[in-house]
Amino acid sequence: MADDKDVLRDVWFGRIPTCFILNQDEVTEREAEPYYLLLPRVSYLTLVTDKVKKHFHKVVRTDDVEEMWLEYEGTPLKWHYPIGVLFDLHASNTVLPWSITVHFKNFPDRDLLHCPSNSVIEAHFMSSIKEADALKHKSQVVNDMQKKDHKQLWMGLQNDKFDQFWAMNRKLMEYPTEEGGFRYIPFRIYQTMSDRPFIQKLFRPVSPEGNMHTLGDLLKEMCPAALPNDGEQKRYQVVIHGIEPLLETPLQWLSEHLSHPDNFLHICVTPVPSD
Amino acid sequence: MSWCVLDEENFRRCCRLLLQQSEQLRDGWSWEAVQGSEEGYLKKTALRSVIVDSSPVWDHEGSASDSEPHTSCHSWPDQQGQEEKQAGLVLVDADSIKGGIEDEEDGEEDEDDGVCAVSEGSSQVLQYEYHILHSCSYSTPVLYFRAFTQDGRSLSLEEVWSSVHPNFRLRLQNSPLNTITLQEHPLLGQPFFMLHPCRTEEFMRPVLQAAQDQHRSVNYVLSWLSVVGPVVGLDVPLKYATQLHPAASLSSTESD
Repeated sequence: MADDKDVLRDVWFGRIPTCFILNQDEVTEREAEPYYLLLPRVSYLTLVTDKVKKHFHKVVRTDDVEEMWLEYEGTPLKWHYPIGVLFDLHASNTVLPWSITVHFKNFPDRDLLHCPSNSVIEAHFMSSIKEADALKHKSQVVNDMQKKDHKQLWMGLQNDKFDQFWAMNRKLMEYPTEEGGFRYIPFRIYQTMSDRPFIQKLFRPVSPEGNMHTLGDLLKEMCPAALPNDGEQKRYQVVIHGIEPLLETPLQWLSEHLSHPDNFLHICVTPVPSD
Repeated sequence: MSWCVLDEENFRRCCRLLLQQSEQLRDGWSWEAVQGSEEGYLKKTALRSVIVDSSPVWDHEGSASDSEPHTSCHSWPDQQGQEEKQAGLVLVDADSIKGGIEDEEDGEEDEDDGVCAVSEGSSQVLQYEYHILHSCSYSTPVLYFRAFTQDGRSLSLEEVWSSVHPNFRLRLQNSPLNTITLQEHPLLGQPFFMLHPCRTEEFMRPVLQAAQDQHRSVNYVLSWLSVVGPVVGLDVPLKYATQLHPAASLSSTESD
């Protein structure tokens, strides 16, 4: 369907205007100007912030410099989460541009994973794709691909090439027609109000009776507190790629069209702002 | 083959049995529950004493057949990134060194974990924390671990790699998905090292098949642990297998 293909493009090309500011405790040789950048929602911080690093390296004392890490309002930002997820989870109701603080010292290694090179990001990305396919197809599709096909998925993401990526990714979105959908839906539900980093469990797209499960069905099973009780005011917003899909949306459709390039549906549940 | 995989319920059952034995053997495992649910994981902390060698360690030309008397460390899989020369901990089990320096050139393999020839250094005690979780995506157990020095510093990935016995290191390097990587702990959200689970079914299949053929019961988690644990310094005493315990049949429907 033409409309559905547009959704894929809209998801891929989503951007968040961001302003990077150097942590004021960093010792600088001159004043550090903020750096502005449009961040791709579907990518990863360490993959797209080389320019930010170069910009601030010019003013920071070079012997002082360690691995760069980013923080928003005191929360260290996990580079291994897609950028859009970080924004929706921590900053969705604030005024744009998203203001991120840059650090070069005191790396919080109890909170953040190290990211010494792009190959670490690639390994993480491919690992997610493989895990998603384990859920969708018992790993059959991803294992049938060759190494160069895997590389094409990564290069597509790294170089922001929608067509190159989807030429290969469409295979991961197929399923036997008689099944009606994937074996299980790869998803993660993030909540700021929970100790757990995310909820990820087995969930089928089709019920035993043959009905298509919806987003609402998923939440009812995994995170019932996110759903308003009858007559009650909505207390939480359920956000995917910065929008709130209708709870009646079929989960299979969401998985095929609103997944991230890592093939997971990342769902953020945050409190409705009290204003 | 669905009998080769371990669903959540059976995982918990295997853990309960392992825990019973652990208590009898005083092996130190405990069950950490996720608040308000049946979900959880097995946890154990252990101290390992190591020899600290402060000379530069990272020799990127090193390989398993390196004949240097020093402990050599491989260039680990590409995914670990840039080369770094740095002084760090060389992790060798101090209690497995038997009187004197062994020469790797002889090709003698020491059965004990992580024994390499080292120059003199002081001995340090490290605290290891091991967690066994269930992966619903792969239907297998997964091993997560982290390690700290006595002053609370986390070990780096390079230091952890250096603690893996050279034999295991070679095997892990050749199959990157079996490798040790830094991951976010799915229940705690903190960085832990993880041994990737996607090949577990491959090595468990012969074990489970043999058990089925011989009408023996098998504790999936225990058998799996005896394979992967030693790679990362986690000892699984033989007594788990030889001590009398209630039958742990995978096909049993008895409830606890």
